Amino acid sequence: MNDLLRRKLQTSLIIVSLTLCVASTLFLLLFSEKIGFGISLMTESKLTTGFSTIFSRFIIFTGFLIFVVGAVIISFMVYVMMSQRVRDIGLMRATGCPNDLVFGYFLTELLVVTTIGCFLGVVLGIAADFASTSLFNSFGFQISQTPINFWLVLLVFGLFFAFALAFGAKPILDTTKVNPATALSPSYHFGVSKESGFKVTSKSGLTMKLALRSLFRHKSATTRIIICLVAVFLLATVGIAGGIIADQTTKSWIENAVGRDIVLIAHQDMCNQYKLLLSKFYETNDMPRIIYTDAKYSISEDILNLLSSMSSNISGIDPRLVLEMHVKEIVGYKINYTEVGDSREGDSLVIGVEPEKVLSNCSLDGEFLKENQPWEAVIGDSLALGMFTEPLNQSISLSGKAFEIVGVCLDPINNGNVTYVPLENLQTIMGVSEPNVVLAKINPSANRTAVLNYMRAQVKDLNSEFDVLDLNEVLDKNLSFLDYIWSTIMVLPAISLFSASLCLIAYAMLTITEQRQEFGVLRALGANPKTIIKIVSAQSLVVLLLSCAAGIAFGIMTTLLILVPEPIVTGFTVAEISAWLLTALVVTFIFSLYPAIRFARKPILEIMT
Amino acid sequence: MKAEETVVLASDLCKTYELGGAKVEVLKDVNLKVGKGGFTVISGPSGSGKTTLLNLIGGIDKPTSGKIVVFGDDLGVKDEDFLASFRCNKVGFVFQSYNLVSTLSVAENIAFPMEWARKPENYIKERVEKLLEIVGLQHRAEHFPFQLSGGEQQRVAFARALANDPPFLLVDEPTGNLDTKTSLKIIQILQRLKGDRKTVIVATHDERIIEFADQKLHLEDGKLVSLNE
Repeated sequence: MNDLLRRKLQTSLIIVSLTLCVASTLFLLLFSEKIGFGISLMTESKLTTGFSTIFSRFIIFTGFLIFVVGAVIISFMVYVMMSQRVRDIGLMRATGCPNDLVFGYFLTELLVVTTIGCFLGVVLGIAADFASTSLFNSFGFQISQTPINFWLVLLVFGLFFAFALAFGAKPILDTTKVNPATALSPSYHFGVSKESGFKVTSKSGLTMKLALRSLFRHKSATTRIIICLVAVFLLATVGIAGGIIADQTTKSWIENAVGRDIVLIAHQDMCNQYKLLLSKFYETNDMPRIIYTDAKYSISEDILNLLSSMSSNISGIDPRLVLEMHVKEIVGYKINYTEVGDSREGDSLVIGVEPEKVLSNCSLDGEFLKENQPWEAVIGDSLALGMFTEPLNQSISLSGKAFEIVGVCLDPINNGNVTYVPLENLQTIMGVSEPNVVLAKINPSANRTAVLNYMRAQVKDLNSEFDVLDLNEVLDKNLSFLDYIWSTIMVLPAISLFSASLCLIAYAMLTITEQRQEFGVLRALGANPKTIIKIVSAQSLVVLLLSCAAGIAFGIMTTLLILVPEPIVTGFTVAEISAWLLTALVVTFIFSLYPAIRFARKPILEIMT
Repeated sequence: MKAEETVVLASDLCKTYELGGAKVEVLKDVNLKVGKGGFTVISGPSGSGKTTLLNLIGGIDKPTSGKIVVFGDDLGVKDEDFLASFRCNKVGFVFQSYNLVSTLSVAENIAFPMEWARKPENYIKERVEKLLEIVGLQHRAEHFPFQLSGGEQQRVAFARALANDPPFLLVDEPTGNLDTKTSLKIIQILQRLKGDRKTVIVATHDERIIEFADQKLHLEDGKLVSLNE
């Protein structure tokens, strides 16, 4: 305990790093489980299955990386902690202390630090999960405060505890094997080779020469910190670049599926029902049962004529028949006549549309409905994944009629449990002559508010029970839900970056300790404190840039190849990602300067002692 | 001695260290005057404060009280930038434990004080060659400190101290860690410095060095006394 207290800064750095690693991993697991796109790949009635898959893939990968980063950071920090004790170990052995007793002393020290770090990490992780859930709920989303999964907490605690002990015991064992005389020698430093082995020409300047040669001298520590930072920057890139790209991609899917500047004209009940169907994407709600085929919901010719007469302000009209129907999976065949499907059945929202008039533009696997193809259907991703084996090789049955599935779309309505079929055919099958909702797109150049007010007044004149619903509001709520989720996920790489900064500080401390005497000599021979800061900064910068280049390259590849299929990357996205990553780099670098600045201020004699 | 010829002037110099809450008075009212071109030797038992006095004269440490004026500058009141420039250009320091920079080769160890003084590259190259010749280590130019013997390291330390051709040299126990044969080479270098009329202050026990000093001082229990009188 005395030894730990004597090295306050180092002890706090190790405990804080360990705490952050455990906390971020636990928070990720607990929060993702609550929100419904957790490691189990299950959807809890929120988010369509397609979106959930993207989120889950992202979270599984981020979770895995956080765990790896945590393990690497812990291994590095414990290595640094133990390498600082080598002289004490040498001294104890020189005075006759048996090896097992030396090992026992330092293992006890390691146990204390690990226990405190893991315990604080668990507490912080649970608190962060509770706070995030409360924050989301205060913004109007419905995420339940479920009881903490005790086994998950135990798993995270146990794994990190074991990791820290395993990684920490290795350097203790190694140092106890060092000859006591060697350990006590002022020129011996654990993990530092005596020779430089690398010569930099004098043209690169004294600062860089000293910095680079020193990096090559502590090969072991340099390799460890580079591995550690590569893992952190990989995580940061996946978090930042992947997060931004995935955020924009998923938002674009939603925006295309709902459509921008679209209004819905329907009976008030139908307006409410449609709104609830769209909001199922971000909140769980009880749907009132309504009879969609009721004549009071029918869109009259007058309303359609009214919309047609507003052609200067409206750029498209999309009449739809919205129904809830029992649907069945029809077994399909592959090229080699293998049967595909299980004849499953269930309920789905069925929407009849006129293919050429559809205003939305869903992200699709396959193709959308075409004119003169009455027996084709496009189904939502949740229905496709929940009820079909290979939807694009199968058909769907509605009221005993088979429709060939030609596309699977990402649509937030009814949380992706939706089937689109041609309007005319659906009307014939169901014996309904009129659509029950009509969507209209307001011209972007038109005065939106004026058009909306005029439309409302005219619709009320024609039928007082009818209303106009602005879908932009629902769309914005959908988009902000995605925003909140992504911003929550992106906090995690930020925590890791903070841990990485602590690691870099520890590394800077290690290199400073090892070069302490030499820095003192440099100062005594005319170097000013700035020169020392420059040398340490150059070391940190080289390490940081090397790690950053590798980490970011791997991160971008992972994001584009694995995490976000068909990504939407604009010029602005690239600029935004670059700005964030550059900020991360600069902040980490500034953090790493702290020990050098602190050290350079010390009097020369204190440095040389 | 004329005032302009005084290189070091210490008056009532005191230095106290705090060690574990206890105050240790290392130097007590030390008065010292060293003239230009003079070869001064400070002798005294181990722990008498010789190194502390050299540190104060070299601007590495500051006095607790009293004045230390070197080349007319009161070092006790100067800021770190001034002192860094002073240590680089005005004084050459040879440490007891050599203190070579382990990541730099012999030639680079000699060159770096000149790089800080922003000397031209060609000048540095020529000067390094000349200094290596003076200390007899031309064949070791590309070696690293760990490949040298103690005596060789000490000679490199001398060459480094002379790099910027300082008018004044401080040498701490130059033969303390060396065998007799190697010590002779160091003494030859010191005699050469004396011949070149450099101002030199040496802290040593070595009678062979004390013998040829112009000014012989003895430090004991923090008090400095002259042995010349």
